[in-house]
Amino acid sequence: MTVEQDIDAMDQFPLGMRVLAVDDDQTCLRILETLLHRCQYHVTTTDKAQTALELLRENKNKFDLVISDVDMPDMDGFKLVELVGLEMDLPVIMLSAHSDPKYVMKGVKHGACDYLVKPVRIEELKNIWQHVVRKSKFKKMKSVVTTSGESEGNSDQNGVRANRKRKDQLEEEDEEQDEQERGNEKKARVIWTRELHNKFLAAVDHVGVKNAVPKKILELMNVDNLTRENVGSHLQKFRLALKKINNEANQQANMDSHFKQMSSLKGLGSFHHYRPIPLGSSQFHGGAATMRHYPSNRTLAGMFSSSLPCNHNDGGYMLQGMPLPPLETLHIANNNNNNKAFPSFTSQQSSPLVSPNNHFVPEGHQGFSPRLEINKRLEDWSSAVLSNNIPQSNLHSKPDALEWNMFGNSTSPNLDTTNQTSFCRDTDFGSPNAAQADSFDPLQMKQQHENILSPMTVAQLLRSSSGNERLFMGQQKLENGFMASDTGSLDDIVNSMMTQEQSQAEFSEGDWVWVA
Amino acid sequence: MDALVAQLQMQYRNYTASLYQQGFLDDQFTELKKLQDDASPDFVAEVLSLFFEDCVKLIGNMARALDQTGTVDFSQVGASVHQLKGSSSSVGAKRVKGLCVTFKEYCEANNYEGCVRCLQQIDIEYKALKTKLQDMFNLEKQIVQAGGKVPQVDN
Repeated sequence: MTVEQDIDAMDQFPLGMRVLAVDDDQTCLRILETLLHRCQYHVTTTDKAQTALELLRENKNKFDLVISDVDMPDMDGFKLVELVGLEMDLPVIMLSAHSDPKYVMKGVKHGACDYLVKPVRIEELKNIWQHVVRKSKFKKMKSVVTTSGESEGNSDQNGVRANRKRKDQLEEEDEEQDEQERGNEKKARVIWTRELHNKFLAAVDHVGVKNAVPKKILELMNVDNLTRENVGSHLQKFRLALKKINNEANQQANMDSHFKQMSSLKGLGSFHHYRPIPLGSSQFHGGAATMRHYPSNRTLAGMFSSSLPCNHNDGGYMLQGMPLPPLETLHIANNNNNNKAFPSFTSQQSSPLVSPNNHFVPEGHQGFSPRLEINKRLEDWSSAVLSNNIPQSNLHSKPDALEWNMFGNSTSPNLDTTNQTSFCRDTDFGSPNAAQADSFDPLQMKQQHENILSPMTVAQLLRSSSGNERLFMGQQKLENGFMASDTGSLDDIVNSMMTQEQSQAEFSEGDWVWVA
Repeated sequence: MDALVAQLQMQYRNYTASLYQQGFLDDQFTELKKLQDDASPDFVAEVLSLFFEDCVKLIGNMARALDQTGTVDFSQVGASVHQLKGSSSSVGAKRVKGLCVTFKEYCEANNYEGCVRCLQQIDIEYKALKTKLQDMFNLEKQIVQAGGKVPQVDN
């Protein structure tokens, strides 16, 4: 689309803008819906944050904007803002009866585009479309694919300049830049290289997980042309991934035996051959060559990520809670059996089986040892993150909906309307069985994976470990004494891995996952 | 007929104006009325009935929370109050909203008696508003039935 076309579209644009409105208060929701209709937007409403997330995940392109209340029983509105920003990158407007500036600040910190105080007036809603426009421009700016961490900053800068120019003059400035940005639009955003990610981890470690806010991290990272938003979304992805994977790890604990069985059935030798999953291998910084050897990694990764067997410790799962890249392939491979992935792997160096104990074996080529450190770190974080996030499970939507509806209709004050807290309890991960049941549902997992994690996320996270760089955790050795070295051919490593596999006990730590 | 309509309309105007004057309703209610049109002729009535349903539910929650034999969880009470504050402000129920503000302060101060008092007052207040609005809607109906148009009253 040319710039002129962009502008034309924008003229029509506010009309028919698709808004998702979320508020547990039916009165407010009804009013909001009517107000939005009056602005000639297309409105979908829901009184549950869970439902909203599901709707959004179903089809990422279904909505342009989300308006959400802050205080909701099934999920904190701020959390919803974070998740939506992370997963779908849609503009979110917060709505609340709290006019206290600290809530506004909190909203901004969690990535909200705007914060409206109830009662909302129609005048305020008439201009919310600006956030959609702003966001899409910002996306264009950020979508620069680079091969090196340093240049991405420059590209961003150029992108910003280009956008401003265009905006000012309302003309087509540089065709090439236009096309480039448009082309990039489809791709991912800021590329988190190993270096960058290491800096990120360093910063987070410095402030501590609990205090990890984008602003501080950004300051500590001290990287030019990196914005708070970049850091914020990266941080959130990180946390989300941790949480997700840890949740799944917990739920999949009993898949352990299943996998063991499968592995042995496969007879593919040691299923301990895991290569660190080369998430988004195409973006693998400096590792492209290596990655190509294992095109099926994606499948494998997919397989592993969702089928992560037991981690005896806690969530030490493949990438320690990192989302795996080609999530689309996750369930496909995972659902049925790992067989599908195997054939493709056999052509590879080793057999990539899901081991009951996930271990990362440094690949050597890329000096994966830092990954060990990363994963250790993630492990720590994931437990920290989990403990904070447990009440907000994404998995339990149905039971809540039913209960909620029930007393929505009752007029008796004595009806045992579930308190908000009890709602949270229901969604608590305290019921592992339910959680497991949910998580084992391939479809559900698929949804979660596909929509939550972007392919490049983990890749970026992984890639951040370079050579012999040390993370704050310090050097960590694999239980099996496998220290990745930067040299050595892949074959050597694989071979040595094979010999090591015999001792399953070593994998009991579950720190690393080998993806062969 | 016209005389009747005129009379009803005047009655309606006075009644509605008094509701504003006495602080039962505020600007937000006027805004709501503006949203009502031919496409949604009963919008205000619908929203208000949703609101009253919410009142019942939330007041029930608050009562239960305050009725604990052990320690009262004021944050729980506060959460319900907060929600009621949001919805009352959205419909223009001025008095109810005002009470919510006070109620919230008592919650934050963990003041049990204060909370109980507020709860009682809110209960009375929303019921009073409900009755008044029902009267107002009845007048509207009568006007329409008499063939007239409901006048705009913006306080």
